[in-house]
Amino acid sequence: MGIQFQDVSYAYKGFKVNYDAIGHISFDIKAQDEFIAIVGHTGSGKSTLVQHMNALLLPTKGRVVIFDHVLPPKKNEKINYLRQKVGLVFQFPEYQLFEETILKDIMFGPKNFKSSEHEAMEKAKRAAQKVGIDESLYEQSPFRISGGQMRRVAVAGILAMEPDILVLDEPTRGLDPQGRKDLMAIFQEIYEKEHKTIIMITHDMDLVAQYAKRVMVLDNGTLVYDGPKERLFEHPRFEEFHLDMPTPLKILKHLEKEIGLPYKPHYDYPSLLQYLKEVHHE
Amino acid sequence: MNNITIGQYIPGDSWLHRLDPRIKLFALVALLVGTFIIPISTELSAIIPMGAIFIGMLILTSSSGIPLKKVINGLRPIVFLLTFTFFIQLFFISGGTLLVSFDFHLSVTSILAIILLIIFYNWSKKYVKTRILYFLLITFLVFFVQYLLPYVNLYSYQLDVYDEGLMRAGFIFVRITNVIIMTSLLTFTTMTTDLNYAIESLLKPLKWIKVPVDVIAMMLSLTLRYIPTLLGETEKIMKAQASRGVDFKESKFKDKVIQIISLLIPVFVISFKRAEDLGNAMEVRGYVIGAKRTKIDEYKIGLSDILSIIVVLLILGAIITTRVI
Repeated sequence: MGIQFQDVSYAYKGFKVNYDAIGHISFDIKAQDEFIAIVGHTGSGKSTLVQHMNALLLPTKGRVVIFDHVLPPKKNEKINYLRQKVGLVFQFPEYQLFEETILKDIMFGPKNFKSSEHEAMEKAKRAAQKVGIDESLYEQSPFRISGGQMRRVAVAGILAMEPDILVLDEPTRGLDPQGRKDLMAIFQEIYEKEHKTIIMITHDMDLVAQYAKRVMVLDNGTLVYDGPKERLFEHPRFEEFHLDMPTPLKILKHLEKEIGLPYKPHYDYPSLLQYLKEVHHE
Repeated sequence: MNNITIGQYIPGDSWLHRLDPRIKLFALVALLVGTFIIPISTELSAIIPMGAIFIGMLILTSSSGIPLKKVINGLRPIVFLLTFTFFIQLFFISGGTLLVSFDFHLSVTSILAIILLIIFYNWSKKYVKTRILYFLLITFLVFFVQYLLPYVNLYSYQLDVYDEGLMRAGFIFVRITNVIIMTSLLTFTTMTTDLNYAIESLLKPLKWIKVPVDVIAMMLSLTLRYIPTLLGETEKIMKAQASRGVDFKESKFKDKVIQIISLLIPVFVISFKRAEDLGNAMEVRGYVIGAKRTKIDEYKIGLSDILSIIVVLLILGAIITTRVI
């Protein structure tokens, strides 16, 4: 079992009052072969939720079980090693870069988790290759490359730790369309080839439709939907989730209404195009 | 990280809250000067004004609606210093009549008891709520066991408490308490923006000797404004690096150095970026360094402001007169 939430609540301590960020959330996430999108409004508790997944935040009520390790931990129990198993990429991760060279920065994670210098170097090079950082850039300063490349270096910094589960907090935020596509292709490849579980916060419903297999919808700190994406978009109460329809589905709905084209869900542009061609030929 | 509060303003609507910030700041400075020029002596001419200020401060506190507990909490950081000076004064000033005399013994038994007490204090302090009282109690006990357990004696010393020593110790205690209450009353009842404005207008005379007062005031207010923002950014970076295995609790000292660097450099980079963005945003909205600026809030001196400044000046005048005479 990968990550298990059992009736988890978390409250931020304020002045006199506590602010409930998330409440009574339960779900299971397998350690392999899952691609989960977490969606919801700003302030719905998404970031708080994912920070529980690598023990950065500890539940104020309920239990989180990460790879059989029960949280909140007992006194003096070591939990740092969990952060190697569940790699968390923060929003705008390029701000976390600090080393002199790109390769050294990517090596920082593995070295913290007791890899030897040589091992860390190997892991860093593999990770850099995965995200498409050219070998000629290894010895350059991470502050002298473009924003998109910085983002990749930061992602490589987490990948180099070789986590079993990869958690991403709005990985494509602030990237141009090409950069977004490239980055998503990297995650898709990790999901398909290495069978790792990927959990991703996003606001972009097109990305959800195209990549995710399972969707969790948060609203005001509670989990209002958890299930396959196909069912989400057909959900009778979809309107209440305050979510946008993905563009391909919007097009199909529009065509159904305007020219009576039979509605059949397609989640990305190639398959939509394929479908339209088929209908056209009939 | 979240419990760091810069500016401890407590919202309220008392007359102390409504007082003009310039007047409040000026009154604080005047009263501070007053408190410090009262000579440390056991004569009535010193004790009466000091006691009067103390009582005045208590009345002020209750009239401002700030809970007394909050004000007393301001003493917390210096409770060690207070206790230390109190005992030094108590034991090393000799004069007047001898009140009591203690024979203290540093013996095997008492040293052992002291060690046990210190260990017990460090272990138990997290369970005790009123920590100041607890600290004082333990300090008292440390001396008490030296008096109580003279067995297997190594070294004896005598502590004589004279009435003058006791008075001076109490006097200094009250003086420091007064200073803390005054300053915390100001910060509790004044917003940082108002305080900043007060500093700016009180520094205005320096303009005549070409000190860029308004630039300094702007720097001050921007600094105050950006402390919470930068703390938030620091927290984010800490979490991001924690996700990469940085853990101050579970790592060795050698690793800690590079881990601190991994925190400092990103925060530094972000600060520069923020400063650049802010500079651009201010220039876009027409800010020119040194140019004349107008204010949205104009402060007007009211009757209570004038009355308070008169009272404060009278107090200061009275203290100076007794000092001179």
